[in-house]
Amino acid sequence: MSQDLTRRTVLAVLAGGAAFLVKKANGQIVWQVNASRCINSRLFEAGVEACNLCTTECVVALSAVRAVNEYSKCGRCNICPAYFNITSAVNELGQPSEKLCPRDAIARKAIGKVDPEDPANNFYEYIIDEEKCDGCGKCVMKCKEPLGLGSITLRVRYDKCVNCNYCSILKACPQNALMQLPIDQAL
Amino acid sequence: MQYRHVQVIDGKGALRGIAVDGNGQLYAAGDSEIRVFDRNERWPTSRPAHAVAVASDGSVYAGEIGQIEIFNGAGKLLHTWRDEKLLGRVTAIGFTKDSVLAGDAADRAIRRFDRGGKFLNNIGKDSAVNGLLIPNGVVDFGVDAQDTIYAANPGKHRVERYTAGGELLGHIGRFDGIDPAGFTGCCNPTNVAIRDGIYTTEKAGPRVKAYDFSGKLLAVIATDLFDANCKNMDIAVDARGRVYVVDTVKAAIFVFEPVKV
Repeated sequence: MSQDLTRRTVLAVLAGGAAFLVKKANGQIVWQVNASRCINSRLFEAGVEACNLCTTECVVALSAVRAVNEYSKCGRCNICPAYFNITSAVNELGQPSEKLCPRDAIARKAIGKVDPEDPANNFYEYIIDEEKCDGCGKCVMKCKEPLGLGSITLRVRYDKCVNCNYCSILKACPQNALMQLPIDQAL
Repeated sequence: MQYRHVQVIDGKGALRGIAVDGNGQLYAAGDSEIRVFDRNERWPTSRPAHAVAVASDGSVYAGEIGQIEIFNGAGKLLHTWRDEKLLGRVTAIGFTKDSVLAGDAADRAIRRFDRGGKFLNNIGKDSAVNGLLIPNGVVDFGVDAQDTIYAANPGKHRVERYTAGGELLGHIGRFDGIDPAGFTGCCNPTNVAIRDGIYTTEKAGPRVKAYDFSGKLLAVIATDLFDANCKNMDIAVDARGRVYVVDTVKAAIFVFEPVKV
């Protein structure tokens, strides 16, 4: 009886593992960033430097991890701390004179009823150019609460990720912030 | 002008709004109750309280989602003004001589009612962006002795002055990430109080400041006492000039008093 149970358990584990490998081989299991673990996006990590291991450790050129702006959460602010370097000198428009992104991967445009006289009197849409973004996380760190609203997060882009058996970013990440998920449960 | 930190009052639970009456009695809104600190009383509210204010007749107004509850000075519920549309989420309450003002964060505007609860007009709604810019989700304002309304417009890094009828008179404040006279971040100041000047709080990093009515910075009252992650720190000033500030993460009220130098 117990031998039978053990055999069934072993077979079930093997079948599960085989199913996982088949799914992975078919691209149905993917790597994704766990935003609640990533130091750039998780809450209660104010005043620390952005982590750029997704940029430096990924085997893909630039990185398979890119910053993504979720528009439904974005405040569309005039002074976006993820777009501007908010500690740079103020220019004649009353805005910071420098941008934050070292690769100039974020663009913005005024939307809605645009007031050309007063930049503060407009909403702005912030668009990330994923071809320029290398996932350095600087904008993610500045966007999160309480400074921003947390609309920008890092995400693995499946068209770029080569789906390594053991993600090289995860190998280096002290927060274990990458995880494998069935594609239908991933972002 | 300088201030010193004199006291921490433990809020014991969520703290969202505070008010001080003419006698220096401190009230706080949080969870589903109004707390009256020196008397150690708790008045239950029917919904979570987001704001509290004390009228000149001693009645206490609690701002909630979809309604305002009005208590007498002993904590007895007198009236409930319910309007899901005009009182979407009431995060601030104030008074002119003849009206009651409610900051509705759901619609990014200040509503003006007569003392009986009849709606009169909006304040801060008439702009290209159709309201105050509050990515932080809180409308806050103060009223001076002449019934001028000072509304925080954090997305513009300004405190805007309005008449009770809703006319924009002007503003103080500007963005600056370095100069403490300016407001930094995406959206500051988040909260404002009016007494002999304009008192503001900011988030990321949390900061409390005092300005005169022309917008000249008088004092940075505090920066480093608060939890770095707190935001929407409500502020009140009593008749002695003592400044009360909510730390929303520590759930505590920090008290500062002016020091003569």
